[in-house]
Amino acid sequence: MPYLNANGVRLHLQRLGEGPPLVMLHGLLIGSLASWYFTAAPALARQSSVLLYDLRGHGRSERVALGYDSDTMVVDLEAVTEELPEPITLVGHSYGAVVALKFALRHPHRVARLALVEAPLPPSAAGEVNDFLALEPAQMLQVLPDSVKSMFAGRRRAAGRLLKNLHYLATQSSLIDDLRAETDIADETLAALQCPVLLVYGTQSPCREVGVRLSRALPRAELVLLDGGHNLPLEATQALTECLTGFCHG
Amino acid sequence: MKPEDSEEKILEALREMLNEAVGEDLMIDEPIGMETSFNEDLELESIEFVALAEQLQLRYGESVDFAAWISGKDLDEIIALKVGDLVRFIASCRT
Repeated sequence: MPYLNANGVRLHLQRLGEGPPLVMLHGLLIGSLASWYFTAAPALARQSSVLLYDLRGHGRSERVALGYDSDTMVVDLEAVTEELPEPITLVGHSYGAVVALKFALRHPHRVARLALVEAPLPPSAAGEVNDFLALEPAQMLQVLPDSVKSMFAGRRRAAGRLLKNLHYLATQSSLIDDLRAETDIADETLAALQCPVLLVYGTQSPCREVGVRLSRALPRAELVLLDGGHNLPLEATQALTECLTGFCHG
Repeated sequence: MKPEDSEEKILEALREMLNEAVGEDLMIDEPIGMETSFNEDLELESIEFVALAEQLQLRYGESVDFAAWISGKDLDEIIALKVGDLVRFIASCRT
């Protein structure tokens, strides 16, 4: 299993394909690098060297109590991308997209293109996320979108493992507090980002207006709305994959 | 065809790779056969499926392009896969 010690945490990585470097970041809680591995990553890997990693506390990366704020996760991403040739393309979903955006703002010369799928901004203002985090882990499973629930239907072992991890993250890590403390990024800061940005949001997503705002604030952004909610990699796999390949390889 | 590329031998190898990828957590009452479903019988988590893909790559190298194979499938198809589907795919790459 390929692991990297990054920022003091053992992170699990996978690589697919060959070509210019492209790094994909998944969303929190129910996400892992598999969120991309079984959706858009194989198609992107036809023309890119795709690097996928599990965020701290997720998938097969180390369970750590602290550091779920986006600034710490940007430092994780700095370590993950340290050896890559530049410039890189970043693709992020949900909180992974926030981390990608903050990385690009901090290292504008290192990022060729940026694809943000359902970035919540600020993450603490996404009402649905807060409601979700306030639930007991067992209830969290009940309110998951159908697309996610169907993956666990009749699968007690898999559901049990997801639940165990949700329980850990929600009750024994700083994730919830870190999320609530996340602040917004000012429009003036966003206006300085010169790389092309693809914004993909779901027509039924609570984050949809964030996409509209980002498309106005970022100078080179293109907004695409897809039929679906927040979990577009699962809910609109094919349409999202086409958008991402068009943008990253266009 | 080399003897190790028969479906029977590939199935045997796949059992080993599953143990490697999932380890003692693998929950199954019956022996893993061609009709065993990754989802319903083995209840593989998606991240464990990734670990299995990695084992495939370690064992067969680039001759078995698992990522390209799944990129032609949608998520429902991937979830519905049986061990036999993967065995036959590996066999087809090896001939």
